[in-house]
Amino acid sequence: MSAAGQLRIVGGAIHDPANGVDGEVRDLCIRDGKIVAELPDDAPRLNARGMVVMPGGVDIHSHVASTSVNQGRLLQPEEHEVDPEPAPALVEGEPSYAGTGGTIPSTFTTGYRYAGLGYTTVFDAAVAPVAARSAHAQLDDTPIVDSGFFALLGNDDYLLRQIAAGERERARDYAAWLLGAAGAYAIKVVNPGGVALWKGGARDVNGLDAPVGSAAVTPRAILETLADAANALALPHAVHIHCNNLGVPGNSATTLESMRALSGRRAHFTHLQFHSYGGARDAGWRSGAAEVIAYVNANAEVSCDVGQVMFGPATTVTADAPVEYLLHASTGRRWLNMDIEMETGCGVVPYVYKETAAVAALQWVVGLELFLLASDPWRTVLSTDHPNGGSFMSYPRLIRLLMDRTYRDEQLARVNPHLLAGSALADGLAREYTLNEIAIVTRAGPARLLGLRDKGHLGAGADADVTLYSRDADTERMFATPRYVIKGGTLVVEEGQLRRAPAGRRLHVRPGYDAAITRGIERWFDRFGTVRFANYAVGALGDPPVPCG
Amino acid sequence: MSESESVVERARDGESNGESNGQRRVEHVTCLGCGLACDDITVVVRSARIAALERACPLGARWFGDGAVPRAIRVAGRDASIEEASGAAARIVASAERPLVYLAADLSCEAQREAAGLASRLGAMLDSVSSATVLPFVLAAQRRGRATATFGEIRNRGDVIVFWGVDPAERYPRFEERVAPEPEGMYVVGGRGGRTVIAVDVGDARGPARADRRMQVAAADEERALALARAAVVGRAVASEARGAEQPDTLAADAATLADTLAGARYAVIVHDAEPHPARTDDAAEGLLTLAQALNGPTRCALITLRAGGNRSGAEAVLTWRTGFPLAVDFARGAPRYRPLEGASRLLERGEFDAALILGMPRSVPGAMARSLGRVRCIAVGPRASENAFGAEVVIDTGVAGIHEGGTAVRADDVPLPLRPSLEGPASATQVLRELARALSALEPVATRAADAAR
Repeated sequence: MSAAGQLRIVGGAIHDPANGVDGEVRDLCIRDGKIVAELPDDAPRLNARGMVVMPGGVDIHSHVASTSVNQGRLLQPEEHEVDPEPAPALVEGEPSYAGTGGTIPSTFTTGYRYAGLGYTTVFDAAVAPVAARSAHAQLDDTPIVDSGFFALLGNDDYLLRQIAAGERERARDYAAWLLGAAGAYAIKVVNPGGVALWKGGARDVNGLDAPVGSAAVTPRAILETLADAANALALPHAVHIHCNNLGVPGNSATTLESMRALSGRRAHFTHLQFHSYGGARDAGWRSGAAEVIAYVNANAEVSCDVGQVMFGPATTVTADAPVEYLLHASTGRRWLNMDIEMETGCGVVPYVYKETAAVAALQWVVGLELFLLASDPWRTVLSTDHPNGGSFMSYPRLIRLLMDRTYRDEQLARVNPHLLAGSALADGLAREYTLNEIAIVTRAGPARLLGLRDKGHLGAGADADVTLYSRDADTERMFATPRYVIKGGTLVVEEGQLRRAPAGRRLHVRPGYDAAITRGIERWFDRFGTVRFANYAVGALGDPPVPCG
Repeated sequence: MSESESVVERARDGESNGESNGQRRVEHVTCLGCGLACDDITVVVRSARIAALERACPLGARWFGDGAVPRAIRVAGRDASIEEASGAAARIVASAERPLVYLAADLSCEAQREAAGLASRLGAMLDSVSSATVLPFVLAAQRRGRATATFGEIRNRGDVIVFWGVDPAERYPRFEERVAPEPEGMYVVGGRGGRTVIAVDVGDARGPARADRRMQVAAADEERALALARAAVVGRAVASEARGAEQPDTLAADAATLADTLAGARYAVIVHDAEPHPARTDDAAEGLLTLAQALNGPTRCALITLRAGGNRSGAEAVLTWRTGFPLAVDFARGAPRYRPLEGASRLLERGEFDAALILGMPRSVPGAMARSLGRVRCIAVGPRASENAFGAEVVIDTGVAGIHEGGTAVRADDVPLPLRPSLEGPASATQVLRELARALSALEPVATRAADAAR
């Protein structure tokens, strides 16, 4: 089927929770890359009897295309050597490219593998705006998936100065300008203020009201300013927050305080698993998942993704550079740090989560507890913070852990129980996700939270991003090997084989701002920058911006 | 947007004064004369030649020249069209048993991406000039990681700057003015006066003349000096080599003093040079990386690796994201394999290749390699390709990325910058490589070679 073609998918069980459809067997029609209500009887047909039909997967939080990710790739030739990925044999002689996998696959391989899992939209959650050109180029080399990225703003020196001066409107205009200049999709905050302090020689932020350079600049003020900016600009996605104190025992208190600080404001809290530990720094670890998710359950303006840890190799790669220093210092593992001028930091440490390790077992349990105790799947997104908690390739196993209690309990029996006393999962959680709930946490929910109106559902007018799975009692195998994947109307996977690899679209925003602010930004660049203001913005992108408001 | 439109568009963005008195000014131009990639150059164009440059250093002035480049397209010595030459090139690489794709200097990232795609489709060996220069640091960083920063952090925070065996005035003329120690920084009040500069002379490789302190290290002692300094930082003694008791270990004392100064900095910076050939042993490279890492215990520290020009860092970035490896990538078995210890130059010497696609400026190809290239069927595509010294059978002159071609280049610190062409040139390397890819697609067996190898 060509992109402009028609296709009637016949007899599949449709899981389209955004439109209230839960497994109803009916046809689905596609024309010109969109879902349509009806097609002529002679339109080509695809027999989907016995199959489960869902919208294409939407990854709200991944790391696939920044200079930091690429530093992580460069750091680990050994994981690429053992996971070669030959160029797929596409139809009609369409060129395809070989690559390598591991926890951070090369770009083409990333696109092929995401599509091979039935994911058709992916966001990189952390790009330094000064390096946005490189992120766009990497996404251009990541085929099939529609993609975009979030711009790191929570430690930006210019922004912090506006907050110090009480200029929150100017801070909002700056954020708007920066998103457009970088071709980004959303505002990202990583360890608000903490990375700026690390670059200045401090190791930590002590609480939401600790000063960052100036008494007026605190993690709380940064969170408020950027949450308000995202909401005032009516960005399609809320501010995307990685809280302070990632990975530290007792950090659930910080996380809850951050959520309360933004009470009543739309905000997305990311990889919540890494921020939901009870206990205290000197008094050991325990799960803090129940308290954290209880807050999310009770506050409809808050959403989250889980950032599940999966046992096996991972690469921790984050703008939260002080965390990586601590991980390096405590484990002696290889460590990359790159301080990125006036904006952010970057740290990379390759890592392995072992089920025999007490902390890794706790992290695994905390993530599952968040999923299983969440009352609203629409605000709880499936993620592993790829490649931090594990590869996106482990999503099918994670889905099985959520859908299959027997399997989950078997796995639980194998992990180190040392830190699991009092955990809800250890005490027994019977919940099993339904297919519709999986459809919500992997596509319908993230699409809605991202403000992507044409994605995550199968109503007329939606993008024809569709995944067809063969039913299988082993849900890991079912979700690992879709039978068919359709992206923008193009059949990219047929009978489990990747057959076409069209380029994806770039998802970005261009919110309005008071043009007068650019004079001040230009002076700032002249004074402290090493890149000319005129050379900073990436310029026009091939796809139109997603509208705000 | 087509390539030629983008040339004009970008040039227009950069012009503030436009055309007047028969001359045109193009501003905010990125210079690829060295890896600093200064992006504040004004190019004054008169009669389709570069007539003047503002803010360019002598290296930059040499790199820009007057912008004149040859425009030959030849197959076996005869003039040809681009289509003919691309077709001939495609037939050569497609029929080769063992092709090499080599990235010399002065290519945009866009051209490097096209080249990586060709290498994958051809099942070729893919390598770049980086294998001949920065390799020991790449390998050491892959073993140990590294602690670094972009130039702006050095400018805004660095208060103790060590130049380790490099005098930027000679090799990177605007480093001192644009990065450190001269400019005022956000957290370094007073610019030069707020910073301590330490010159470390390593054998003949001298640090800057105008330093606040100086340390001498014999070339043979470099690894030991770095190990001693790191030991001092982490508070461990290094077993003293057998030396006469009557001979005090001045190196240990000097290294300890250096370590003290660095550890006492607010933000220490160690600057070294990875060019023009590997000046460091593997152990010295690792010593520099691990010293800078260790200094992040007591304070903050960044190691800055300086690189030569022509977007060399871009080749590493592009190859890494397309293949998982920064250099020396072999597609012979279909999927990429990493062969850093062999590399194009050594394999070529061993007679492994029967055809080579040499992209970029021929004179940046290392000498030994250029000599071995004379033995294989060569295609040269790039600026001044027609001046190649290896007897290329197919020659396609292109413009110089950053002078005649737009696109992107990567600074030595991994920051990407736009290229603003100031002159119209011959066909761009990116265009030629796309033409070559189309010609390959027309040759059916090639499209499947990598896939066959994989099966």
